[in-house]
Amino acid sequence: MRATRLAAFVAFLALPAAALAQAAAEGRVTLAKPPHAPVMNKRYGIVAYGGVLSPFPPVAVVYLEGSFARPAPEPRARMVQKDLMFVPWILPVQAGTRVEFPNLDDTYHNIFSYSPAKRFDLGRYRSDERPIPSELFDVPGLVTLRCDIHEHMRALILVLDTPHFAVSDADGRYRLVGLPAGRFVLKAWLDSRTTLERPVLLASGATLRADFP
Amino acid sequence: MIKAPEPTSPGLASFRARLVLAMMLVVSAVATAGLLFAQHNVAANVRRDFQREFQGELAALHAAQEVRHAMLAERCRALARRPRIHAALEDGALDLLYPSARDELQDVMDGARRPSPEPGEYSLHALFYRFLDARGRVIAPPDPREAGELGRREESQLALGALPDLPQSGYASGGDGPAGGRVDEIIAMPIISTESGEVISAIAVGFKARELGGAGSGIRSGIWLGGRLYLPSLAGSARESLEADAARAVAAADETEGGREVRAAGAPYLLFCKRLNPGSLFAPAYEVSIYPLADSLARQRALVWEFAGAGALLLAGAFGASHLLSRRLSKPVERLAVDSEENRAQRYRAEAALESASRDLQRSARFSADASHQLKTPVTVLRAGLEELLAGEYLSPEAREEVSALVHQTFRLAGVIEDLLLLSRMDSGRLQIEFSRLDLAPLIEGWLDDLGALPDAFGLRVGSEHPPSLWISGEKRFATLILQNLLENARKYNRAGGRIRISARAEGDWAILAIGNTGQPVAPGAREHIFERFNRGSVGENVPGHGIGLNLARDLARLHGGDLRLARSDDDWTEFEVRFRLAPAPGDAPGPP
Repeated sequence: MRATRLAAFVAFLALPAAALAQAAAEGRVTLAKPPHAPVMNKRYGIVAYGGVLSPFPPVAVVYLEGSFARPAPEPRARMVQKDLMFVPWILPVQAGTRVEFPNLDDTYHNIFSYSPAKRFDLGRYRSDERPIPSELFDVPGLVTLRCDIHEHMRALILVLDTPHFAVSDADGRYRLVGLPAGRFVLKAWLDSRTTLERPVLLASGATLRADFP
Repeated sequence: MIKAPEPTSPGLASFRARLVLAMMLVVSAVATAGLLFAQHNVAANVRRDFQREFQGELAALHAAQEVRHAMLAERCRALARRPRIHAALEDGALDLLYPSARDELQDVMDGARRPSPEPGEYSLHALFYRFLDARGRVIAPPDPREAGELGRREESQLALGALPDLPQSGYASGGDGPAGGRVDEIIAMPIISTESGEVISAIAVGFKARELGGAGSGIRSGIWLGGRLYLPSLAGSARESLEADAARAVAAADETEGGREVRAAGAPYLLFCKRLNPGSLFAPAYEVSIYPLADSLARQRALVWEFAGAGALLLAGAFGASHLLSRRLSKPVERLAVDSEENRAQRYRAEAALESASRDLQRSARFSADASHQLKTPVTVLRAGLEELLAGEYLSPEAREEVSALVHQTFRLAGVIEDLLLLSRMDSGRLQIEFSRLDLAPLIEGWLDDLGALPDAFGLRVGSEHPPSLWISGEKRFATLILQNLLENARKYNRAGGRIRISARAEGDWAILAIGNTGQPVAPGAREHIFERFNRGSVGENVPGHGIGLNLARDLARLHGGDLRLARSDDDWTEFEVRFRLAPAPGDAPGPP
């Protein structure tokens, strides 16, 4: 899956840091199986059950909670609109990250969010819009992205305080590298209502095995 | 035809008067019944047409309203789907709810702020909008000017007990203006979360309430809401007097079809009532339409007068016609009465004449019979005396010849008397032919013999031609008499050295007997008289005879069912023809004659 590959790519980017740090964590998050395949929403990536937004197929965002320094250069991320869908549909970013919203469709999109963590409205634009519209996400929280033109389009941006996060694969497996040693809380975000957590003790040079739950 | 005189008899006059009266009664009854029936029918038709017209107009207006309502509802439905509205509700951004809606409804709300839309225009512009929270209460807008200002009372009418699953339509009254305040139409559209599938809110959009009544249609309609009638186009007093009627109509709105007639401010109206928002969670509202009946009633009154006028004319015409008709009808009766008078007189005259004729005839017949009887006896006595003289010895030969001629004359006299007797019997109808089968052939032969025995002064040649037997129906005595008379004539009116020819033949049902003789023909002018009694033609007085022979022969032939006629009389030849009915020969099977 593309999303998984992208997550792996993000993890790969973190590799040099991992070489410097000493700790790593890996494990498996038990992912909830949706009661049935939501055919209608399959392409949306984000599905809603009883007011709970969750990615589909289910993936988890595993991150290390703690106070970490903001990165000096503004990190950048991308949320693409393609085939009337957001890609990826769940995007974890560190607070202070600027996310670009390139429109790869032939039609207008109007990305906006009314979420408390980030309210913005990019207005209508096409693929030739330059510079690519972007927003700075500096308040941690879950941001629901919508398109004013295509009411079905939905995506989530999970704004985190930490630079240490990873998206699991479809089986729930994750790996975090380059983690600092010490006592932390490792969290696994499953959907808009469910975030699992467990305290971890990371030892330098060691890889911690941490499964949820 | 007899000209009908003016009826003078009182009977006829009263007959005509009664006829006229009866016809007038019938005509007036029929005409009145017909007129009443027609008037009733026409009035009912007018009323029905009127209601139908009204309902048709109303239905057309309703259809237009429904289109408008559907458009408004669609507008609200689209609004309820807008991602921004959903985002504001689902992503916890209630502060952005009204601003988002303002942006979405910009076009709709802009129109509402126009100074005043054209009256009667079906505006799609909203007056206000409000969101309802999860419990159906109104979410107060941060800036009421943006969402359309509402009085507290009107805003409270937007609240629903719970959020509706389906669109709701309703009405809210606001303010108490001089025209009974304002009523706004509301469409409440549920907003269903795309995340939970639940109704999370509703948007209630208020529009300018419809106002029925197109140009010239005369229909005015208002809205009955919460026990009050909002009918801005009707003056206050009329509206108030309508309110009670409207309340009754509303109470019965679910049962009654059609309109009811009401009075408002002294004018009659047709009132229709219809629930506007059946099944709605909003307070029930009714459309109350009124149609002024004044025109219709005036039309009906005019119709009644027209009918009355037409009826009067018709009756007058009918009276005239019945009078004329009764005159015509009574005329033949009058004529009949006159005719019958005439007829009676004529009949009396004819009967009297007939009676006198009959009396004359009987008298003459009796006279003939009496005379014959009275004459026969002296002739017989005379002959007996003369024959006694002849038998005596004392007559000189000259005297003897003289007496012999006298005897001969007595025979002639007896013959004449016999004929007269016969004629008188025939005239009085007392002569009956006793029919029997009779063979003509021996009769002819016998008479030819007799003719040959007669002293013949002319030297006549007699020839005959007949079948061996020719059966007729008759009485021998009279058939002989006919033949004898004709033969005697043929001999008497012949010329010297002439001929007599007797022929008989069967022809169809008839036996034809022809007796011809030479001699001077009957003058054409005398032919029609030869059969008259005592007519001897112009033959000359020297021919013996007494002028009743042909008459007697023809009467006898007719009594036999046959006839006698002059067949020809020219060129020295005169021929008479007698016909008798043929009778079947003795050997033949009896059958119809």
